[in-house]
Amino acid sequence: MSRIAPAGSDGRALQAPLWRAIAVFRVASLGYATAIVATNVRHYRHPAGGWVVVAVMAAWTAAMVAAYASAARRRLPMLVADVAVAAGCLLATGVVETPHRLAGGAPNLTVSWVAASVMACGVAGGRGWGALAGAAIGACDVGLHHRLGQDTLNGVILLLVTGFVAGHVGRLTRDAEVRLARAVELEAATRERERLARRIHDSVLQVLALVRRRGQELDGEAAELGRLAGEQEVALRALIGTGAGAEAGEADLRELLAVHASTGVSLSAPATPVPLPAHAAREVVAAVGAALDNVHRHCGATAKAWVSVEEADGEVIVSVRDDGPGIPPGRLSAAAAAGRLGVAQSILGRVRDLGGAAEISSRPGEGTEIELRIPVM
Amino acid sequence: MSRVDPIRVMVVDDHPMWRDAVARDLAEAGCEVVAAVGEGRQAVRAAGAVRPDVAVVDLQLPDISGVEVTGALAVAGVRVLILSASGEHADVLEAVKAGATGYLVKSAAREEFLAAVRNTAEGHPVFTPGLAGLVLGEYRRLATAPREPDAPRLTARETEVLRLVARGLTYKQIAERLVLSHRTVQNHVQNTLGKLHLHNRVELVRYAIEKGLDAD
Repeated sequence: MSRIAPAGSDGRALQAPLWRAIAVFRVASLGYATAIVATNVRHYRHPAGGWVVVAVMAAWTAAMVAAYASAARRRLPMLVADVAVAAGCLLATGVVETPHRLAGGAPNLTVSWVAASVMACGVAGGRGWGALAGAAIGACDVGLHHRLGQDTLNGVILLLVTGFVAGHVGRLTRDAEVRLARAVELEAATRERERLARRIHDSVLQVLALVRRRGQELDGEAAELGRLAGEQEVALRALIGTGAGAEAGEADLRELLAVHASTGVSLSAPATPVPLPAHAAREVVAAVGAALDNVHRHCGATAKAWVSVEEADGEVIVSVRDDGPGIPPGRLSAAAAAGRLGVAQSILGRVRDLGGAAEISSRPGEGTEIELRIPVM
Repeated sequence: MSRVDPIRVMVVDDHPMWRDAVARDLAEAGCEVVAAVGEGRQAVRAAGAVRPDVAVVDLQLPDISGVEVTGALAVAGVRVLILSASGEHADVLEAVKAGATGYLVKSAAREEFLAAVRNTAEGHPVFTPGLAGLVLGEYRRLATAPREPDAPRLTARETEVLRLVARGLTYKQIAERLVLSHRTVQNHVQNTLGKLHLHNRVELVRYAIEKGLDAD
């Protein structure tokens, strides 16, 4: 079994109810077998032998109920012993009963009690072991009656089915157990991450923010250090931010865009996730990155930029704006026509591939703004 | 500063180093720091005693949440400026709905912070692009939520203004672009917050009535 089982579990905690059910079945079927023996004992060739078999079954029932309660003992030797004792008790019928009554279809001493060992093999070892144990017990039954009639065949098939089904259910619970263990592990990891995030928030981030704040008031190298601290603060915050919200195959655009946020780049977005297909989200983030590179290339590293994400009817609107000098009217289309505008290829192309549209606008004194509209289903 | 009396400010932040730095900045700028506390309940108690004009509140507090503190302070008539980490979008929005009139990230520059405190003291909302994005998103959520039939709506003009704030335009730039007065832009922005506050209060009353009826 897996080593990632939840703490305090033997790794098969979910199987415990199955083993309890087998124990209950064993005791109940022992009662039934005892009643059958009591009813038929006067016809037996060896009445005392009948009671001896009942005594053996009772002792074995008690032993197995105790043994199977511990997961460590649900192993091959124990299972083989279980099937062997069940088969022995079943075959003892041949000694106790008269051949005439056996041929006439008299019940076995053990009746359904033998099925408990088949179930145990199935639950412990899977469908194969279960079916094998069922076949073994069934073969003894057929051998006992020296024929393969309708009644014995029914019994054999029932035993095979019992072993198979028990094995199947056992495997289902084992799979469930593994999944549960993974979920528990994941939850523990998430909790640990949250704990780390709190610790980082309480210490590192506060100090970085403070360094940035103090650095701003100084000149030269100190100001540079402050700026660097501020950028690390934003990057670290983006790292420890929550990872929840988006479904599989989708990505939360806000979270992906957080990598572009810095002291010079403000990001505004809704408080709730903005899901896009993962591929589309990556393309939009790349387009925004290209737009910001463009801002820094043309307006200098100290230019301020604003990225906004907004959900509207049937589309997501992303805007990147800077406070640079802007592009004089006419220059934009002229540059695009001359193929010199890197923005044109990398941004418009990406957005058009997603079925969206991009628009570049500029007003003197209000910087340049690129608006991307990406349709959502 | 145009005011004769100094602005009375309370600083609520559980990080001592940060708290002291903010208090020092405020004192140097001529504000009166009437309380500097590290816990939420303490803040609510202190506000009752010292009656600050403005409370500068961090959302991450050790005992009760910054949102709860904001709600209690807003009811007591204290103007709340959230000074918090970036990335706490949901909490910021809740605090704004609970009555905060401004939000600034902790990495904001000193002058920006001091201007925000002055604006808050005068009752002007401190609307950063980030906050505009959150408020736009919230109206969008309310408009599409099936169980919010009487939720507040933005007018087309208010949406337009908020969108431009979210994109980093100043009120002056917005006024020029939309051919409005600076005052009108300010009013539009204030209205968007006012409607959220009102809706939040109505929701709280409705919740209280439902609870009350359940108790009978």
